[in-house]
Amino acid sequence: MRNSNRTVIAAGALALGSIAAPAMADVTVEFWHSFSGASGDALNEIVEKFEAANPGIDIDAQYVGNYNDIVSKLQAAIPARRAPDAVIMEVTRYGLFADRGVLLDLTPYLDADPLKDDLFDFAREVGVYDGKNYIVPFNSSTPVLYYNKAILEQAGYDEEPPLKTYDDLLNVAKTITEKLGDQGITGIAAPGQFARWGLIMSNDSDLIDSVTGEILIDAPNTVEAYDWMASLVHEAKVASPDGVTEEKNGRDAFYAGKVGLMMNSTGNYGGAISALGDDVVVRPMPCNKVCRVPIGGAGIGILSTSEKEVQDAAYKFISYAASPESNALWFSVTGYMPINKHTAEQPLAAEALKTKPGIRVAIDQLPFAKGRPRPPVVTWMRATEYEMWQAMALGQRGVQDTLDAFAERTRQEEARTN
Amino acid sequence: MSTLTDPSAVPSGGRHSLFRAGLRRRATPYLMVLPLMGFIAAFTYIPIAASLNLSFREWDFLSPDKPFVGLDNYRLLLSSHEFWNALKVTTVFALISVPLRLLLALGIASYLVRETLPSRFLRGALFLPSVTSTVAIAVVFSWIFSTDYGLMNAGLQLLGAPKVMWLQDPQLALFVLILVNTWKQLGYDIIIYIAGLQAIPQELYDAAAIDGGRRRHVFRRVTLPLVMPTTYFLLVISVIDAFQVFTIVDVMTHGGPAGATDMLVNMLFRVGFTLFDIGTGSALAVLLFVLLIALALIKSRFLGRNIHYGS
Repeated sequence: MRNSNRTVIAAGALALGSIAAPAMADVTVEFWHSFSGASGDALNEIVEKFEAANPGIDIDAQYVGNYNDIVSKLQAAIPARRAPDAVIMEVTRYGLFADRGVLLDLTPYLDADPLKDDLFDFAREVGVYDGKNYIVPFNSSTPVLYYNKAILEQAGYDEEPPLKTYDDLLNVAKTITEKLGDQGITGIAAPGQFARWGLIMSNDSDLIDSVTGEILIDAPNTVEAYDWMASLVHEAKVASPDGVTEEKNGRDAFYAGKVGLMMNSTGNYGGAISALGDDVVVRPMPCNKVCRVPIGGAGIGILSTSEKEVQDAAYKFISYAASPESNALWFSVTGYMPINKHTAEQPLAAEALKTKPGIRVAIDQLPFAKGRPRPPVVTWMRATEYEMWQAMALGQRGVQDTLDAFAERTRQEEARTN
Repeated sequence: MSTLTDPSAVPSGGRHSLFRAGLRRRATPYLMVLPLMGFIAAFTYIPIAASLNLSFREWDFLSPDKPFVGLDNYRLLLSSHEFWNALKVTTVFALISVPLRLLLALGIASYLVRETLPSRFLRGALFLPSVTSTVAIAVVFSWIFSTDYGLMNAGLQLLGAPKVMWLQDPQLALFVLILVNTWKQLGYDIIIYIAGLQAIPQELYDAAAIDGGRRRHVFRRVTLPLVMPTTYFLLVISVIDAFQVFTIVDVMTHGGPAGATDMLVNMLFRVGFTLFDIGTGSALAVLLFVLLIALALIKSRFLGRNIHYGS
């Protein structure tokens, strides 16, 4: 009798445990991201593989728009207490969220994770704000120079022309526009903000110094860089003004075979190949005075408001997404740079490097890639820069005047924000 | 039911029951409108009050504290170039687009008021943009007015004319937006005008015809005065609409080039949701609210008294 009682109790406990155990282990991580199309599919594949390896964790991955949309929606979601548990944040815009305690300090997680030693230095650095780790990189990029081989050949270039300096780019863009302008083809796409930042860095300057925080918007080399970029549109007329008021117009025109040269993120490599096939050639950004490129892209952060159990699960996913296997899948599909030192050893990555030569250019740029500043004022500065750029590129206002005023306002805003 | 209306139906419980019945009778209308008032309060009055409160505070959506800063946000706004530029741009937009919409709508409605097959078809065709997604319209027009790849410039080039920077020229971009907004809203204005025109008694036109009135005189002396209530309604609606225009601007120009099409609501969105300055954004919302109330009062003062609602 005693034995049978024990059996009944044990069986009951087992049954209860079998019901309770999965309920205890099941954790759902709401994850907001900004990837659609082929990138979205690649991310979903990573999520599926993670869930298969971690049966107790469900990643509810939601596409919520581009980086700006994510920031706007997160702003609204936080006071409404409807924020996700994990979120993709652009590398220059997470500083404010870290500063206000919205993002969880991931330093203890990363310190205990072998991933820390596997990440490239640049990848580890982009997640650090004020000495602490707030995001783990997922999609890192640099700007690169794309050109359409068929257009250059039509313009008379049998061999690749020099593409190292501002003058080199201008010469090629002029030739294309002169020879093919009648066909509606322009020489170069007006540089978007990421490419503008890269061109400023290659002129041995910056917008805000990432180490000292000094505002360099009105520094002579920055002014010189903007002067050259603006001249592409309103003086030399080798870049379409359509790309000034709407950046993606320049990229779309390049994809449509209507533009010869384009400077844009490595993340556009997959799209460019899909649109233009073998006509796409990728080269490093010009080194006008120095060779230096900004690091862009985004990382994944965890919300400090989530429960500890969910935060742990979210970190597990973040660490998995940065693993060599996941990173190789991501890199081979999208063209974003490898962030893990062991990614290249993966068969998928090796295959991508063999079959897509353009994908290597960004990796070759890594020795001179530089992180960008991320204090709260950067959000204001980046949002305002568009208007300043339009005024200069469309010839409505002098470059020096515009940048002097912009620098002054940025300093005021920095003082106010701090 | 009879207990509320028939005093004889009040139970013989004395003055107390009578008082309760009276109370119920007085409270009933208020109870009837309570759900609606609650809805309006939750989605209109409370947000307005919250916005007013936030306009006196400094907040970035993220910080737990919202320190009181008095009128600082208003001072910052009123001393900024952006605010005055946005107010100027929005005013110009309203001053051109409102009369254009009303004149075109009245003119077209006068022709489409007749019950013929072509006019029925045209009413539907002209109304279609009103029920089409504003974002879709703005995207399509962005391509039509693209400098290097757009339909407009392709047409001009066929005629031998040079390209026009429709959306990059600060002098032109605003007029393109006015044109697109007018095209989008015209159908609605036309339908409202047609309803107004159909309400005018036919006898008045018959009398004018017997008196030998010419067509334009009849339009000026009969149609125009009697359609004034409709005009007044459309004027109020279209001015509010002009001061709140956002989507077309956001999709087609983002307020550019260089602030040339930066409307008040676009600035509000940028300040609040891109620059994280909820206090200043709320102050701008309050100023816009006050401005629209003031405009409505002015219209009522100068136009409302001249409008007659009977035929």
